[in-house]
Amino acid sequence: MNQEPIIHIKNLHKHFGQTAALNGVDLDIYPGEVVVIIGPSGSGKSTLLRCINRLEEFNAGTVIVDGLPLTTAENINAIRAEVGMVFQSFNLFPHLTVLENVMVAQRVVRKRQRDESLETALELLKKVGIPEKAENYPGQLSGGQQQRVAIARALAMNPKIMLFDEPTSALDPEMIQEVLDVMLQLAREGMTMVVVSHEMGFARAAADRAVLMDEGLIVEEDVPDVLFSNPKAERTKAFLSKILV
Amino acid sequence: MQIRKELEKVPGYEVADHRIDSWWWLVVAVIGIVVLLATLQPDPYWRIMRFVSDGLLITVGVTLIAFVLTLFTGLIAALGRLAQSSFIRWLTTIYVEIARGVPLLVQLLFWYFAFPSLVQAFGRLIQYRPFERYLANPFAMAILGLTFCYAAYMSEIYRAGIQSIPKGQNEAARSLGMSHGQAMRYIILPQAIKVILPPVGNEFISLLKDSSLVSVVAVADMTRRGREFMAANFIPVETWMMIALLYLIMTLISGRVVAWMERKTQTESR
Repeated sequence: MNQEPIIHIKNLHKHFGQTAALNGVDLDIYPGEVVVIIGPSGSGKSTLLRCINRLEEFNAGTVIVDGLPLTTAENINAIRAEVGMVFQSFNLFPHLTVLENVMVAQRVVRKRQRDESLETALELLKKVGIPEKAENYPGQLSGGQQQRVAIARALAMNPKIMLFDEPTSALDPEMIQEVLDVMLQLAREGMTMVVVSHEMGFARAAADRAVLMDEGLIVEEDVPDVLFSNPKAERTKAFLSKILV
Repeated sequence: MQIRKELEKVPGYEVADHRIDSWWWLVVAVIGIVVLLATLQPDPYWRIMRFVSDGLLITVGVTLIAFVLTLFTGLIAALGRLAQSSFIRWLTTIYVEIARGVPLLVQLLFWYFAFPSLVQAFGRLIQYRPFERYLANPFAMAILGLTFCYAAYMSEIYRAGIQSIPKGQNEAARSLGMSHGQAMRYIILPQAIKVILPPVGNEFISLLKDSSLVSVVAVADMTRRGREFMAANFIPVETWMMIALLYLIMTLISGRVVAWMERKTQTESR
């Protein structure tokens, strides 16, 4: 790939008080790429993801997204509108219906007309497979359905990049696949995705690259098949042996 | 509605609902006592009621105006205490500490007696005639005093309500590109309102009762009118019993309305 990276992370440092979360991470992600980040808990993978849309402030280093450095408040809000995020705990807005959840940011941030945002919302709910729940409140949906609404909500902003922070970790096993299916479809459509997840099946099927993080650093990165079956670093072997039991 | 119908089949649900509603009978009973007293013993009870009725309107007016202002000012103070700028946080915290730390009666006395003198002194200093001749309007100063104090308490209620909303809600809103203000307005505050409605209702009832303190700063509210009636007629027991009953009617009705709103917001949308 000889394009410009859409996400450029250079020497990123972040600490919470005395505890270091990121110790100088370098990572370039190119348009259309799907990158899966794995690693033990506390390795800094979620923190890294949250630094990409500046939900987490960092202490040193550079993050440039879509050509804009994450420094000024204007840039940050502009970037956030271009970068969709899906959370482990869904974080749907419980006081709004499913339809309103998908419409609210279109209306408020993109200043779209009601009709246009309604049309987009219905289309996206169809895409994630739950148009019939449009009038329901999030509390009436299963976890898998809620997470699919959360994906639709993020997509409604027409993002260039989608970030997934352990999107299936809070789900019952039988609901994981329905969410992964939506993510797979997105990957096939060419969406740039950064996914923190231990779903090896998804990584093998959709990811261009898998990245293993530990202690705030990138230990190893490679094509998923190679990284999972033929890891080079001892740390990667140790970690994979634990999760591939 | 569907959920409510389902719930009504559950044994005990109907009973609980009924018990809350039954408190309306207390309101009816107190009103009944007042009506009985006024019709069976028009002298002095009906005479007292007629005498203090204009004061009752003042009490209601002072309370309603001060409450509406408190709702606005309290929200601004709460947002100030949650602001990103440490200077604004510091400023609003000082305000809240002062307003909560000085007795309301002392605050009312300050605004009515001391504040105008300060304005006059300032007017002389800058040679500005309207300030030099400034005279306090009792009604306005009473409302200012009540609002100044109650907005501080109200800001703490708002703040607790805002902080009770999970952090993920704000993160989700911000990750969609919303500004701090947009996230507050469309996502956080609509959810916080449900949480704060009961304590805000209780503040209204407190304010209604504390409005009787404005009687010491030349506002002819119901309490002051009661004192005037007593001074002319020397029947303290009848006068203060009637005043107490009239306050009780207003606070009991307010309490029922708050309970009704609370139930309404809880059954809706979930």
